[in-house]
Amino acid sequence: MRSQSIYKVPQGKLLKISVEYDEKEYRIKEIRITGDFFAYPEEALELMETKLQHTVMEQEVLREKISSIIATYHIEFIGLNAESLARGIAMCRP
Amino acid sequence: MTEQWRLLQTGFKTAYSNMAVDKAILVATSKGKVPPTVRFYGWNPPAISIGYFQSLNDEIDIEACERCGVDYVRRITGGGAVFHQKELTYSIVVPESHPEIPKHILNSYGRICGAVMRGLRRLGIESQYVPINDIVSGGRKISGNAQTRKFETVLQHGTVLMDVDVDTMFSLLKVPDEKIKDKLIADVKQRVTSIRHLLGKEVHFHEVARAMKTGFEEEFHIELIEGTLRSEELTLAKQFEHDCFSTKEWNHRR
Repeated sequence: MRSQSIYKVPQGKLLKISVEYDEKEYRIKEIRITGDFFAYPEEALELMETKLQHTVMEQEVLREKISSIIATYHIEFIGLNAESLARGIAMCRP
Repeated sequence: MTEQWRLLQTGFKTAYSNMAVDKAILVATSKGKVPPTVRFYGWNPPAISIGYFQSLNDEIDIEACERCGVDYVRRITGGGAVFHQKELTYSIVVPESHPEIPKHILNSYGRICGAVMRGLRRLGIESQYVPINDIVSGGRKISGNAQTRKFETVLQHGTVLMDVDVDTMFSLLKVPDEKIKDKLIADVKQRVTSIRHLLGKEVHFHEVARAMKTGFEEEFHIELIEGTLRSEELTLAKQFEHDCFSTKEWNHRR
């Protein structure tokens, strides 16, 4: 199943998610995170996309996973944060 | 003695070349081969640059760009899509360790935007920095800015709008909802301004560049000495243009 969302981060930038997921378990198969936010280093976003594979699309699960990736790989977002990214992805669920 | 940085005035170039030159300066600076650099440039033909994380197909009407002779390119910096036409674009490349550059990324945006604001003041325009990356005058945006940090080096580039053509811009950019396009155009017209609009007259590119030069000198307590790209930078720029910025692989990667 493929789904998309557009989410304006409060006090931040526009986040666009395109995700392909398993319909039964709502697990991410492949995800593309795009938008006009900033991330340092930039290449870390591709890493984030890879690391989010197989994660269940539930906001709290996603937030924890994203926060842990941010901490592990020293990623700095501007105009986006773990909470909003989790919300944007969870919004792709029907 | 006042510290001297290099000033590059590279004229009007293609989108691919402009982005390649900025990256070449970044790499040369990171190797300690060139002094901190401020560059002023324009775009010929007009072009749209998109942020590193944006989807080209989501943001740009590629057919319309090709019809109108407008280039498009993906930047190495984040941020949004920008239509580069009647503007001065600046870039600044400085080692992260330089004492004039705040370590905190948002603070460094504010500091570099401070140079642009001082430049605008020289032209008679009062402006304010609005985080994350905008400069506004009279509540309307006159400059957008984007920064990356690579190899312990800061690169920030940004626009100073000399004039703005919102209708043309929206014929080239895609909008999320076509049904509200007219309203969106009206909104953007209310939210964007330009030197021409604010001063009620056209100001030449060179005059804006002169004012910005002083703005950067005052903000960073430096003297900008006009220079040229070194041969190593020219070689790198050609390589980046050919291998990266002009390729479908790079521009369509998202």
